[in-house]
Amino acid sequence: MSEFIPTIGLEVHVEIKSKSKLFSSSANSYGMATNTSVNVVDLGYPGTLPTVNKEIIRQGIRACKVLNCNITRKMHFDRKNYFYPDNPKNYQITQNRTPIGTDGYVEIEVDGIKKKIGISDIHIEEDTCKSAHRGSVSLLDFNRAGVPLIEIVTEPCISNGKEAMAYLTKLKELLFYANISDCKMEEGSMRCDANVSISKDENMGTRTETKNISSIHNVGLAIEKEIARQEEVLNNNGIIKEETRRFDDKLGETILMRVKETGNDYRYFIEPDIPYLVITDEFINDSLKTLPLLPDELREKYSKIGLSSLQIEKLINNRPLNDYFLGLLEFKTNYVTAVNLLLSDVSSYLNKHNKVITDTHLSYEKLVSVIDNLESGALSNKNVKDLIDSLMENDLTIEELKKEFKIENITDDRFIEDIITKVIENNTESVNDYKNGHDRALKYLMGQVMKETKGTVNPKKASDMLKEALNK
Amino acid sequence: MDKLSREEVLHVAHLARISLTEEEIEKFRVQLKVLMDDIDKIKEVKDYDDEMMFTPIEENARLREDVVGDMLTAKEAISNAPKKNGSFIEVPVMINE
Repeated sequence: MSEFIPTIGLEVHVEIKSKSKLFSSSANSYGMATNTSVNVVDLGYPGTLPTVNKEIIRQGIRACKVLNCNITRKMHFDRKNYFYPDNPKNYQITQNRTPIGTDGYVEIEVDGIKKKIGISDIHIEEDTCKSAHRGSVSLLDFNRAGVPLIEIVTEPCISNGKEAMAYLTKLKELLFYANISDCKMEEGSMRCDANVSISKDENMGTRTETKNISSIHNVGLAIEKEIARQEEVLNNNGIIKEETRRFDDKLGETILMRVKETGNDYRYFIEPDIPYLVITDEFINDSLKTLPLLPDELREKYSKIGLSSLQIEKLINNRPLNDYFLGLLEFKTNYVTAVNLLLSDVSSYLNKHNKVITDTHLSYEKLVSVIDNLESGALSNKNVKDLIDSLMENDLTIEELKKEFKIENITDDRFIEDIITKVIENNTESVNDYKNGHDRALKYLMGQVMKETKGTVNPKKASDMLKEALNK
Repeated sequence: MDKLSREEVLHVAHLARISLTEEEIEKFRVQLKVLMDDIDKIKEVKDYDDEMMFTPIEENARLREDVVGDMLTAKEAISNAPKKNGSFIEVPVMINE
């Protein structure tokens, strides 16, 4: 057993969704051709001035709300000064002294134990340009320069890699559902740095920062590896240096990048080009109006209408399907049946054709009609499976589809009863077998019913009626 | 005469990513000290707080609507760069300085 106690804090950067950048009107979009989403502000030309994008302040307010932070009512921006080619102004505009949000938390659950991960602050800042290193040169693409970010900083209160992963998963879910960010770690719209230190007593040890870890899984791994490395250094009477490291996922270890510049070296001062920003109640309320239901609110809502927790998690993990289902709640129907359909036949179709549900012809009216038909027995689950391509790909009504596919499931009870009586009369041996507890006999009798009706009756209905008749 | 230490000057030079000759180091030990003394003088103002020096404007910052405006072409964007590589600006590599 290790005697060291690890202390971990995470800094997460997420790119905020908006049309234009934070301080300039260039497009904030991923994947454009090199250096085409750029104007003179992003390039740091002398004489240009930053203008704050209203939507980013709104997004910041939404982030405060979903992460339970206090909203700062009077704020300014600060310059963080450093010389590096990714930033031609030689400073990054960020919020050092008056972050938009403070003192929040995210609740996580690890191995059945709930824990609040404290968030010390969230602040708005601009992203730097992207540099690709090629031997002795770096190639700069300024499309990312000035893209709005929020940085979310936790208290040093995370104890291990597992907690860090649970926190990131929850954070991602919240920001994604609140439409604040795509949170795609693989595209860099969510990036995580982990500060790790270990100590044997109350005093925190010297921390290292592992930067830009590429997935939630790797964050957990990098933290455990860094704890192990620090333990080994200290056990061999070495000292931990304050340094920046990176995680090499092929080697599975953290690697030294550079000795860190300390906070003072950034010579923060107030950005003089942007006056104070005062946030009114009205602005806050207005910003929060468009906040959709968050995952925990959805869980509560769905559990009230009778969905199982497995169904709920599957829905929440599939945003387009979830949003579609939310719309369905405006209609009166059997929601459990609806979710079953959405998660089975509809999902298989969507996966097979690599489509999202909004690209298909499955209107709410059509889905409700399918459910009505299923409940009356006019359609069987197998029918739906057979019809799924047509349901998704054209605008025919269910009645028209039934006609086209010659589905005439007979639901007339009288007709089915007559057939059942006939089958029972002609198969006394099997009937006796059934009564003596041989379940296979039921299958045989059911087969006879389907044969007599040439498969035109609803199987579930017929099977229920057959059992009832046999048990008389 | 009062001067900054050699190390202080070299530290500032490192942050600015510039190298200095021996002569320059000596020159800046004097010049930077003069500057820092001037800044200390400002801090002698009663109840000094640099937020009060930040802006004389009481008015709230004007916010820009989230609309995409004109952008440069890649050719225009990199036209003033000393070195180019395709549509990229090329600079000397700076990792593990």
